Amino acid sequence: MNDDYLWDKTGQPDPEIQKLEEILGTLRYEPRPFVLPRRRNYFPLLAIAASILLAIIAGSIWLRVRSGDEVPRQEAKLESPTPKPLEAPQPPRTGSALNPPLHASNRIRKPRSASSVINDEEALAAKEQLMLALRITTEKLSMVHRKTQPNQIKNQHRIG
Amino acid sequence: MYATADMLLTSTQAHAAEQSKEPVIEVMLVRAVLDGDRDSFGRLYDLYAPLVHGILLARVPRAEVADLVQDIFLHAFKKLHTLRDSAAFGPWIAMIARNRAVDFHRRSKETVEINDDLRGSDTHDSKAREILELIRSLPEAYRETLVLRLVEGMTGPEIAARTGLTAASVRVNLHRGMKLLREQLGVMEGL
Repeated sequence: MNDDYLWDKTGQPDPEIQKLEEILGTLRYEPRPFVLPRRRNYFPLLAIAASILLAIIAGSIWLRVRSGDEVPRQEAKLESPTPKPLEAPQPPRTGSALNPPLHASNRIRKPRSASSVINDEEALAAKEQLMLALRITTEKLSMVHRKTQPNQIKNQHRIG
Repeated sequence: MYATADMLLTSTQAHAAEQSKEPVIEVMLVRAVLDGDRDSFGRLYDLYAPLVHGILLARVPRAEVADLVQDIFLHAFKKLHTLRDSAAFGPWIAMIARNRAVDFHRRSKETVEINDDLRGSDTHDSKAREILELIRSLPEAYRETLVLRLVEGMTGPEIAARTGLTAASVRVNLHRGMKLLREQLGVMEGL
């Protein structure tokens, strides 16, 4: 037996080993491309989730401010009832008893109290705060967009 | 048990010289992968896929080998940070392949053997499978070395460098394994 040929394929080739190599060579490894799983980038998802959360918080603040604005108005209504309009002689009814026609005299504007003026100022301040929050959110979103854009290009380059 | 007395032979200077080239490349590639260069893992795959294929072919049915090779490299990619010595990538992935083959047999014993028998009607292919079965019936230390030499076409020094075995161990395994295989082939008619 030629040990050199078996060891490092040098020297006199052994016909039996060569025959075995030929037959068993059909079972040899056939190169297949190895595909690594793509890396997941969670940053855009997190950014979207953060901005949605921020929007919800801003919305809830705004709603709270608005509801706080409405309650004192009702109190003001109870404390200083508006003077009743003078009863004018009723014109003859043209509609049916069930559906009386609407007249301009029924729609009476309530005078604005001092507390409602203060509430208006608070609402204005809240609106400004909300606008500021939205501006910050927009800034953050554009920053996230700027950050994620080069990553995507980088990934595309790697894939390509 | 994989390790035999033959494998525990001490290394020679020649063996060290033979092994000195390959680890330099693999050390660079392993470090590059750990630094985030995923393409370098593709090069490690190209270098070591035949080794893993040969180790699996000596142990599991041929139909399962290709998928297992992919699984093993995927596992290696995920666990590469646990490899302490970058130069030992070959022995490390060889060990993963051997363990995966053991796991495979633990999970499914009967069904896969039938699959292997059903494959290939070609006479050349069937002869190859018969000889492979003979190799598989040899002691574990010999069968792996013989498959790497006769099927994958690797030389003894290459086998030693990639598996981390000493050149002397590989040489002894090849010699004794081949002797046993010749005896087994004597039973078969006309090679």
